[in-house]
Amino acid sequence: MTILSIRDLRGGYSEVDILNGIDLDLADGEILTVAGTNGAGKSTLAKAIVGLLPRSSGVISFMGKDIASLSAEARMALGIGYVPQVANVFANLTILENLQVVSSSNRQRIEELFATFPLLAERRRMRAGSLSGGERQQLAFARALVPKPRLMLLDEPTAALSPNKVAASFALIRQLPSLGVSVLIVEQRARQSLAISDRGCILDGGLVALDGAADVLLADQRAAELYLGNIGNGGV
Amino acid sequence: MYFAQLAVNGLVQGLVISLAAMSITLVFGIVRFPNAATGDVMTVGAFSGLIVYPLTGSLLLSGVFAVAVAAAVALASHLLVFRRLAGRSVVALLVASIGVGFVLRSIMGLAFGHQPMVFSMPLSRPYRLGGLAINPLDLQLALLALVMLVLAFAILHLTPIGRQMRAVADNPALARVSGIRSGRVMAALWVLAGAIVGAGGVMLGVKTVVGPEMGWDMLMPAFAAAIFGGIGSPAGALLAGFILGVAQEMSTPFVGFTYKIALSFAIMLIVLLKRPSGLLGRIEGVR
Repeated sequence: MTILSIRDLRGGYSEVDILNGIDLDLADGEILTVAGTNGAGKSTLAKAIVGLLPRSSGVISFMGKDIASLSAEARMALGIGYVPQVANVFANLTILENLQVVSSSNRQRIEELFATFPLLAERRRMRAGSLSGGERQQLAFARALVPKPRLMLLDEPTAALSPNKVAASFALIRQLPSLGVSVLIVEQRARQSLAISDRGCILDGGLVALDGAADVLLADQRAAELYLGNIGNGGV
Repeated sequence: MYFAQLAVNGLVQGLVISLAAMSITLVFGIVRFPNAATGDVMTVGAFSGLIVYPLTGSLLLSGVFAVAVAAAVALASHLLVFRRLAGRSVVALLVASIGVGFVLRSIMGLAFGHQPMVFSMPLSRPYRLGGLAINPLDLQLALLALVMLVLAFAILHLTPIGRQMRAVADNPALARVSGIRSGRVMAALWVLAGAIVGAGGVMLGVKTVVGPEMGWDMLMPAFAAAIFGGIGSPAGALLAGFILGVAQEMSTPFVGFTYKIALSFAIMLIVLLKRPSGLLGRIEGVR
C-alpha cells in the first residue's frame, strides 16, 4: 500500500518555486532517502509535506487523502511526524514537558517512550536546551513519536551530530518501520542513509532526477559521480 | 533608615511594574510584538475596580472584577485587531497596539472624564517594624499582586495550556507540527496577559489616582522592566520590576518626584547597550 503519494508538486518560499514538479511515492513500512545537492529542494520538500511551507500546485496524498490544503496541525493529527533539522526540541521546556506538550500526549504513551529511550527517562526533569546533540535528537524523535505517526519525515537527522553518533542515529531510524512508521529521510550523508533505506530518490533543481531501489542507486555509476560523492567518505 | 523606608515604599510600586512587564513579556514572547496597549488595559482594570469598590467596599472583589474586565478587553483586542494582523511585521503590530491603546484611552476619557478619581480607602495606622512604617493597605495590595503572580506562574508551568504557551514562545514551527492549536493558545495568552495587568491597574489606582492616562504613563517603566528582565522571561520581568520600583523610589531624594521616571529610560538604555539579553533572558529567545 502507498502511504504517501506526491504528484507534480510545486512550491517554495514566497514567489519563487523551489520544487518544480516533484513526483514521489512511499510504500507503507518503507524507508526512503531523499538526497541531492544543497539547494536541490530536499528540506523544502519535507516542509511542504508537513505543511510548514505552501505549495503552489500539485497533489500530496497521505493514506489516500489529499492533505495539501490542510494545516500543519491537521496533517500531524492524521499521522505525519516531523523532525526538523535545527531547533528540533523545545529548548526551554524540560524533557518531560517536550513530550507532554504534544497534542495527543498521555502519561501511558510517555512512559512507553521513556522505555524506548531510557536515557531520556533518567533526565526527564532537565531542560532540553542542556542536552547534547545526540540526546537532543533522541528527544526530537521521541517527541515526533508521541502521537504514533504512520509516517515520519526526518530533515537531515545527522547534520548536527558528532561523527561517532551518526551510526547510532541511523540504527535508530532503521528500527522505525518495526514500530509501524514509514520514514522519509532528507539527508546529506546520502551513502549512509541509502544503506539503511529501501529506496532512494535524488533531487536536482527541484525535480526528481533519479528514483529507485537503494542498492541500485548505491551501485549506479552516474548517481555516484554526480550526487553521492566518492565511495567511502559518506559525504556528498 | 530613610532609604530603607523608601525601599519598602518602592516594593509596591515595583510589583505594579512587575505585573505590567510580565504582561508585555508574555505577549512579546508568544505573539512577538511589544504591546503598547498594555498600559491602557491596566487603566481599564483601575476604572473597573473603582466602579466596584464603592459598591462592595472590598478590595478583593474590586480586584477580581478588574482582572475579569481587563482580561476580556485584552481578549477582545486580540480577536478584533491583533489576530487579524497575524504574520504582519512587528512595526505594523506595534502601531496597531498604539492605536488600540488610544481608542481605549479615549473611551475611558469619554466615560469617566479627565478629573483624577481616587479609591476612598479608610485610613489605617501603619504597622511598625523596627522603625519601618508599613501601611496595611500596601500589604493587602502586595498580597493581591502575589496571588496574581503565583497564579500566572502556576498556569504557565503546571497546566497543559501554560506548557503550550511556553512551547509556542520557544519554537512556533515545532509547536505547529506537534499539533498545538495556536488559536486556543493565543486566546488563553491574551486572557492571562490582560488579567495580570488588570490586577496591576487596581494596585496603581489605589496607590495613586485613577485617570485615563495613568496606564499610558506606566508603559515606559514597564517596557524598561521587560527589557531589563530579559524579554520573554516572566521571572525576569518580575525581578526587574522589583528592582526598578525600588530604584525609582530611592532616587526620589536625588532627582525629585518628577524625574524618577527618567531612571527607567536610563536603565533601559544601559541594558540594551551592555546586556541585550537582560537579567534572565536568553539571546536565542529573542527572534
